[in-house]
Amino acid sequence: MSEDRRDDAEGPDARLVERARAGDEAALTALVRRHSGVAFGVALSMTRDEDIAQDVVQDAFIKAFGALDGFRGDASFKSWLLTITANEARGALRKSRRRRETALADAPELVASGDDPAEAAVTASEAERARSRLAELPEKQRLSVALRVDEGLSFREIGEIIGSSEGAARVNYFHGIRRLRELMG
Amino acid sequence: MNTQDRCAEVREWLPDHVSARLDAERDRLVREHTEVCAECRAELELIGLLRESRPKAPAELADRVARAALGRRRPVRRPWWGLSAAAVAAVALGIGIASNEGRVTTTLQDDLAAEFEEGEFWVSDDGLLAGAPTLEELTDDELAALLDELVAESPGGQG
Repeated sequence: MSEDRRDDAEGPDARLVERARAGDEAALTALVRRHSGVAFGVALSMTRDEDIAQDVVQDAFIKAFGALDGFRGDASFKSWLLTITANEARGALRKSRRRRETALADAPELVASGDDPAEAAVTASEAERARSRLAELPEKQRLSVALRVDEGLSFREIGEIIGSSEGAARVNYFHGIRRLRELMG
Repeated sequence: MNTQDRCAEVREWLPDHVSARLDAERDRLVREHTEVCAECRAELELIGLLRESRPKAPAELADRVARAALGRRRPVRRPWWGLSAAAVAAVALGIGIASNEGRVTTTLQDDLAAEFEEGEFWVSDDGLLAGAPTLEELTDDELAALLDELVAESPGGQG
């Protein structure tokens, strides 16, 4: 159900890729509109910096479109793009020397306000706290949880992106969820 | 199916349940199971919280990325002498064909004027036409003569 078989008015990815290879700019734009959101999610999960994440997404698309002729279609376009995005994010982290600890130290502490009486606000607060705790997990657990929950990717797709087997992606996801429950108390 | 197996199955489905991607039958099974299983219900609540706080890409990101990605493929505005060898040849051949119909000067000027105005020149991969900047010094008549020479030297040309 989370396979990449999108087929809206612009057609499935495979068709868009074919048109993009032939230089169809509308097809390239459609691929960007379709996948920049999920690519941003991956980039942000890894870099934990919105500005860097946006740059990563841009660089990933430029790289992917530049290599489109070499894309063999063994994986879906989305998995391929997200793998490039993950690699770009790793490179960006190395370049900016933003190690995980630094990013965590910079991250704003999200605490429930306590004086907000609205239940919705409390839920939102808890949601932000969960997101904040997610950022504390090791990279593969964090990415597995984020890609499964936020983007609905299959464990096979997640495995391709984090460079693990489908089984390892599943284990990382469930370990991540268990650890998060502990952190949330 | 025993409870443990059902838990394992339901836990796999929870992310798709909270994002409404699950089919109706599985969705019903998740709802029924989480009503009676506290562990799975707690996990469902956590996943619901994560789903609620999922990051959203800035609205302008797709436009920005599309512009940057397409910028690599669009024609680059260059001074007129940045015209690639291929474009010169194409224009020259066009003149050659048109000259047979006695419309040389008009076709040349119209074509060049329109293309220069729109900046629609693709820069060749291997750089600018060799020596092209010196063309800047040529008058219109000299340029027309040069293009005539190119036509004459081209395959199927008049020379």
